[in-house]
Amino acid sequence: MSHLKPEQFVDLAEGMLPETAAPHLAACEACRRQLADLRAMMSETSGVEAPEPSPLFWDHLSARVRDAVAEEAARPRTWRERVLQPLVLVPSLAAAIAAVIIAILLPRAAVAPNIPSLPLPFAENVTVPSPSPSLPPLAPLGASDDPQLGIVAAIATTVDWDEMRDEVALATGGSSDALAGALSIDEQRELQRLLAEEMAQPSALEKLS
Amino acid sequence: MWALPGQPEGRGWHVSAVNSRAVPERSTDTGQAAVADLDEQQLIAACLAGRAGAFDLVVERHRKAVYQLCYRFVGNHEDASDLSQDVFLRAYRGLKSFRGGSSLGTWLYRIGVNVCLNRVTVKKPITEDLDARQHVDGSRESQVDRVLREERAAQVRAAIAKLPPKQRATLVLRMYQELSHEEIAGVLGSSVGAVKANFFHALGNLKKILGEMA
Repeated sequence: MSHLKPEQFVDLAEGMLPETAAPHLAACEACRRQLADLRAMMSETSGVEAPEPSPLFWDHLSARVRDAVAEEAARPRTWRERVLQPLVLVPSLAAAIAAVIIAILLPRAAVAPNIPSLPLPFAENVTVPSPSPSLPPLAPLGASDDPQLGIVAAIATTVDWDEMRDEVALATGGSSDALAGALSIDEQRELQRLLAEEMAQPSALEKLS
Repeated sequence: MWALPGQPEGRGWHVSAVNSRAVPERSTDTGQAAVADLDEQQLIAACLAGRAGAFDLVVERHRKAVYQLCYRFVGNHEDASDLSQDVFLRAYRGLKSFRGGSSLGTWLYRIGVNVCLNRVTVKKPITEDLDARQHVDGSRESQVDRVLREERAAQVRAAIAKLPPKQRATLVLRMYQELSHEEIAGVLGSSVGAVKANFFHALGNLKKILGEMA
């Protein structure tokens, strides 16, 4: 035997549903009692009036609202309120979303189509000597690597060392110091060693002369 | 002149410079109907157009219902007064977004319930003691009966204040603001079935709380 549902109790208590429409009531003492309790509480609750404030209060309330609204209207709007205006917010959000989408898709669209045709300059089994015992050896560059590395490798094979050194020298002042400062101690030692090695060799100009 | 948020300057709510009181206009020099004669939709349009006294009339028409809703929630005059002001201020800010899908009164109830629910979650309701309350007219009943009735009413109000917020909102809107279950569902953003279930449980919990108070 299933008891009445809350909705049915409410409909019965409010007279929206006649008791004859709920035959279960006749057979269930618990539901009859619950319905009687519900009606009693509704009766008791409805008899509780809210205290009536002074008649002067209503004009006072209107005046308070009027003052608050006047203050609101006079208050300069904050940047947040300006930004959150639909006329500003919607185009701004649309532009931001479009910028993010372009930033994600454009580089791939621009580079990806040309990559597969580039020949990879390194053989699969080339090993790169480790410059320092503390640094892990670089894995050989292969076809499964990021194709963009292929571009870098292709460029690197055509760039002359002295040319590259000159380009670095043209960088903004202090940038090479900052870069060197960002290296670990082992990396700095390795850089020193490479520079000393390079300085000991005759430059391209000396070779020509 | 007061302007609704986003209104161009030159259109707004006229305020006397002397006492900063807006007065709903009774006649116009443009052949328009007086604000006091406008129906609800016309009144909203008048508010949005910045007609003098239009929003004042909205407040005048709905202030009692809004105050009573707030009072039923918080159980004391001071907070109910503050909350009523807040309800109208929010209504003023949001009038542009009012789509007319429900009556203005229902829309104000929705704002009122939100304001009150926000309030009751941050502050425990303080109900007034018996002496602080103004009594309803009881001149025909005996002094003892009046005191007993007031005492019981205070208990019921205190019990209502202890109900969970949604049950309290449902009970107040149904029993005191006399909204239909469908209207309450619109105000609370729930289904009619959920409203009836909340109402059922609110009355059940009220009985339990009053039993514990006795």
